[in-house]
Amino acid sequence: MKSAGVTSIATAVTSVAVPDAGAQIGPAVLGPGDVPVALTVNGKRVDLKIEPRVTLLDALRTRADLTGNKRVCDRGTCGACTMIVDGRTVYACSTLAIEAQGKEIRTVEGLSSGNALHRVQQAFCDVDALMCGFCTPGFVVATVAVLEKHPNATREQISKGLDGNICRCGTFVRIMEAALKAQGVARG
Amino acid sequence: MADEQVVRDRDVLQRSGAPAPAGKYAWPEKPALLSTPIKRLDGPDKVTGRARYTYDINRPGMIYGKVVRSPYPHARVVSVDLAAAQRAPGVKAALVYREPGTQVMYQGDPVAAVAADTEERARDAARLVRVRYEPLPHLANVEQAMAADAPQVFPNGNVRAGARDETGDLAAGFANAAHTVDQTYSTHVITHVCLETHGCVCEWDGEKLTAWISTQAVIQSAQQFAQALGIPQSNVHCITQYMGGGFGSKFGPDAQGIICAKLAKQANAPVKLMLDRKEEHLDTGNRPSATAHIRAGVSSDGTLTAFEADSWGTGGAGAASGFPLPYIYNFPNRKRIHKDVYINAGLQRAMRAPGHPQGCFLTEILMDELADHVQMDPVAFRLRNLPPAGPNAMWAQYFRDGATRFGWDKRHATGDPAPGPIKTGMGVSAHRWGGAGRGSHAHVDILSDGSAVVKCGTQDIGTGTRTIVAIVAAETFGLPISGVKVEIGDSTLPFSGGSGGSTTAASVTPAIRVACTDALDALFAKVAPTLGVQPADLVADGGRIHVKSNASKGVSWKDACKLLGTEPIEVDGQWQDGLSGAGTSGVQFAEASVDIETGIVRVTRILAMQDCGLIVDKLTAESQAYGGVIAAINFALFEDRILDRVTGQMVNPNMEWYLLAGMSDVPTIDIVLNNMPERGVIGIGEPPTVSTASAIANAVRNATGATIRSLPLHPHKVLAAIEQVRAGGTN
Amino acid sequence: MKAFAYVNPATEKEAVAALKTDGIAMVIGGGQDLLARMKDYIDSPERIVNVKGLDATIAATPDGGVRIGSAVRIIDLFEHAQVAKLYPAVNAAAIEIGTPQIRNQATVGGNINQRPRCWYYRNEEFVCYKKGGSRCFAVNGENQYHAIFGNEGPSHIVHPSSLAVPLVAYGATFRLVSSAGEREVAAADYFTRPTLQNVLKENVLEDEEILTHVILPPPGNVKTGHYEVRYKASHDWPLAFTTVVLAMNGSTIRSARVVLGAVAPVPWRSKPAEAALTGKPLNEATAAAAGEAAVSEAAPMSGNAYKVQIAKTAVKRAVMNAAGLKTV
Repeated sequence: MKSAGVTSIATAVTSVAVPDAGAQIGPAVLGPGDVPVALTVNGKRVDLKIEPRVTLLDALRTRADLTGNKRVCDRGTCGACTMIVDGRTVYACSTLAIEAQGKEIRTVEGLSSGNALHRVQQAFCDVDALMCGFCTPGFVVATVAVLEKHPNATREQISKGLDGNICRCGTFVRIMEAALKAQGVARG
Repeated sequence: MADEQVVRDRDVLQRSGAPAPAGKYAWPEKPALLSTPIKRLDGPDKVTGRARYTYDINRPGMIYGKVVRSPYPHARVVSVDLAAAQRAPGVKAALVYREPGTQVMYQGDPVAAVAADTEERARDAARLVRVRYEPLPHLANVEQAMAADAPQVFPNGNVRAGARDETGDLAAGFANAAHTVDQTYSTHVITHVCLETHGCVCEWDGEKLTAWISTQAVIQSAQQFAQALGIPQSNVHCITQYMGGGFGSKFGPDAQGIICAKLAKQANAPVKLMLDRKEEHLDTGNRPSATAHIRAGVSSDGTLTAFEADSWGTGGAGAASGFPLPYIYNFPNRKRIHKDVYINAGLQRAMRAPGHPQGCFLTEILMDELADHVQMDPVAFRLRNLPPAGPNAMWAQYFRDGATRFGWDKRHATGDPAPGPIKTGMGVSAHRWGGAGRGSHAHVDILSDGSAVVKCGTQDIGTGTRTIVAIVAAETFGLPISGVKVEIGDSTLPFSGGSGGSTTAASVTPAIRVACTDALDALFAKVAPTLGVQPADLVADGGRIHVKSNASKGVSWKDACKLLGTEPIEVDGQWQDGLSGAGTSGVQFAEASVDIETGIVRVTRILAMQDCGLIVDKLTAESQAYGGVIAAINFALFEDRILDRVTGQMVNPNMEWYLLAGMSDVPTIDIVLNNMPERGVIGIGEPPTVSTASAIANAVRNATGATIRSLPLHPHKVLAAIEQVRAGGTN
Repeated sequence: MKAFAYVNPATEKEAVAALKTDGIAMVIGGGQDLLARMKDYIDSPERIVNVKGLDATIAATPDGGVRIGSAVRIIDLFEHAQVAKLYPAVNAAAIEIGTPQIRNQATVGGNINQRPRCWYYRNEEFVCYKKGGSRCFAVNGENQYHAIFGNEGPSHIVHPSSLAVPLVAYGATFRLVSSAGEREVAAADYFTRPTLQNVLKENVLEDEEILTHVILPPPGNVKTGHYEVRYKASHDWPLAFTTVVLAMNGSTIRSARVVLGAVAPVPWRSKPAEAALTGKPLNEATAAAAGEAAVSEAAPMSGNAYKVQIAKTAVKRAVMNAAGLKTV
């Protein structure tokens, strides 16, 4: 409380009510209108003012111009929106931006530095593990996550790790090759 | 867009044998780049997320559009009240699309639209549009539409006569048959499920429209925008640098594109209107169903004698459903009558090899049944009944080579005798496709700093078109791929057709070859005098222009271009005959295992034997083949557009219950591409998707001894077929 | 989705207080179900209360069991060594849930309380019993994924929770809190067979109650089996799955609990299968008999008779799994 003249302090003191048992003590109610949301994306701070209903995916794609990850099913079934949050893959379409605060968010944009591709990205290019490319950012992120958890992942681990991603062009065979190649182990 | 019609027209114009002599434009005998594996040019942009698809375009001041659609399969629109929507927060535009008094013919039929400053508010506002409907009788499936007491929903009837074909003497054919099969076969409706949904971003500048659009036909889209909006074609600029899948469904702005343009005009702001997944399932096309009641006869020596079919299918509310039948094999006496059946569902659009996966399945299961009757191996039976071999009809060679490679000799007779609940089997199937090309233009600039820029109004829909344009140019100029710059995906570039029918490579590469060759000739004309030779003495390779017989007598590409001074070489070229061909053939083998206690099918191996004339880029051509095979695995096992039989509404308009294969569902796939340079460039996008489902179904039959005559091969069908065999001996 | 207000309570007390509001309030766990329902306008709460701040630990209980906070993520449940050791079917069920991305976010409480996958329920156009309507569209419609047991109606959904089945089989209880206090409900009593009175929900959880813990008793000396049948290998809902928990007397089954999933509106306890196992040797023949018994009371719908065979197989193979026999 700012300091004020004696009169106003006296007024303030007498006007302070006894706390009502039903008064809103406790967590703030945010929204439904715009609220400040601060995200840490690829190591950088992104400050937004958005409604609580905006998903992490939509917040980044439409308010931060980070359009690498895509919106395809918007229901957590296809993986095109896969991002890594605090070290784990998530469907960004099924994550509220407001709940992604205070976490380390990695999108596809964060994998390369300048023109240097992440070795998973390079492997995808080398073996042609992409066609239209719309599922590709999600697959790349998911593959990075698999290999970060299992640096020498077996085919089974790669399959299970990528089972949350769908490709309509049918690039799965080469995605598997890319994932194996990105370990630095050449497979026949 | 009737892909099949396009293909038929082009087939008429193309011969299927060796192309006409191409003279100086002929493909090199010993190419440096053609037919080798070349990495996709846009790989880095796609894997990093730098590639901007239509869905990613964010324009200054852009707002968001949302379409309001009919929930009813058939209804009269009584009234459309935009008032509450127009008052909603953030709304900048609203329009009525379906006038009161007119009808909506399927769930998802567009009725109205709004645009607002955020997507969330656009969705909120769309839900405030008050549409009053008068529901009308509807047809939810083919049986309802064909029933004697069906309501006549469509103006000229629910059923329309389709193709009719009769050849030979059917009665004699059946008389000569030692065995006859009389069964009904069918395939189902599937949707395209483009991962990037349909849609566009429209931005006006006065009466000029720029539309970023997810399309397979950037120039045709511009033409259609112009026509629908009543503005000159030259006022419309369509841009598609990257697009997230089309598979035949994206050949124009559609309703949502025109709506987007109109909202943008009304709001005086750029509008992005992308469909959501439900809309995508309901209103962007589908592969029509196909059913045939077939009677077929075979003589005791294994020769096909007769084929009679009544066939039908539905392409939705008023659209066709044709497919070739019989497929591939030689039935000398045949009769086929087709009907199109209309139901109240979204209209069909070309989907990857339109008609062929259907015709193939309806024939290939029958072929295995006939083979069993005469106790012949399915491959031997097919070899016996093929049409004559030719460059576009290589099945005999593919059957033989493929059988060896696949281990077909280990195949047991119908019904795996191995103990235990897992039964394994093998199946085979053959297919053909057209893939001819024509009509593309191209432009080449060679600049004094050595830049070579190739321009063509084609588009790369994921096939690698951008890369094959660069390959042809680099091959012609004797430069590395990095030495040429490619500009495509823009309707202001030289004319090229839509990417459908597997026609793009065969249309575009000749135009590039011609333009680049002529540009190179112009460069030779500049270089020759400085070397004291004639232009005809020169050749370009290894980044240099040099005398043919004396490699050391020449200049580098860069030095050659310096001679241009301030006047670049600018050359236009057009497609011409002699560099491309038509007609491809292929054979596929499948191995599957079936758990007979659950009915679940797992595909374990696929072998695809495929040709496509001269392979331009081996790497991307193989990717097309993998992609086609996997698409067909989905067709065989998983995806299914399911309508509620009572309400006619789609119950699975999502990617949860519209099943698509994931990594763990994909088998080992072996692709063998037969490079046929002498035939010129032919397309490969569609052929590899035709046979796989049939080969899988035949593998399931071989495994279980039970015949499933409809797709998809869902466990309930597999269990029912197995039970039928167990109860009655055969099915 | 409709716009909503968001509350992030730090304690159980704050959480239940936050549920008390004019208008509809719902809890959000991993959000893998709630957000999809909201996007499809099946639910449009005015307020969402985050319960991920509640207990997210897994702790041993004094009696040798385990207490699992409802905010525990599925992946953490799966990777917990003690849970895997004591309750292998919970571990086996957890890894089959969804996909890696789903398991990384979804919570135990959310998995137990998720709403049905029935496509009539999930599509706004169909106003069924569960949305205040007066019919079940599955009856005359596309019911290939609906119930084969417990089909008296009014609702013919299959309960969607993977964890519910092993939790019922192991005799878990759930701790529920509200502003009125707390109660514990046995998992077997938590899920409700549908009636016209209760059809809007699948369980006894009140609107302003929160499920905070799953308490598992010590398993005792049992053999566990778990088997799931799903069509797609990559990501799919199961067609039928089973947990069996067998108390042994040497090589003879002393008593059995057999619970089936994806076949009924509740996790389906099969007394016939349990009877067919009790007192029998643990072998393939007994397993097959248990499968037959389990489906003896099946009452399939017009389009899902095939699930009877699949459920039979799931029971047989779960028993074989418990026996340490190769299933296929």
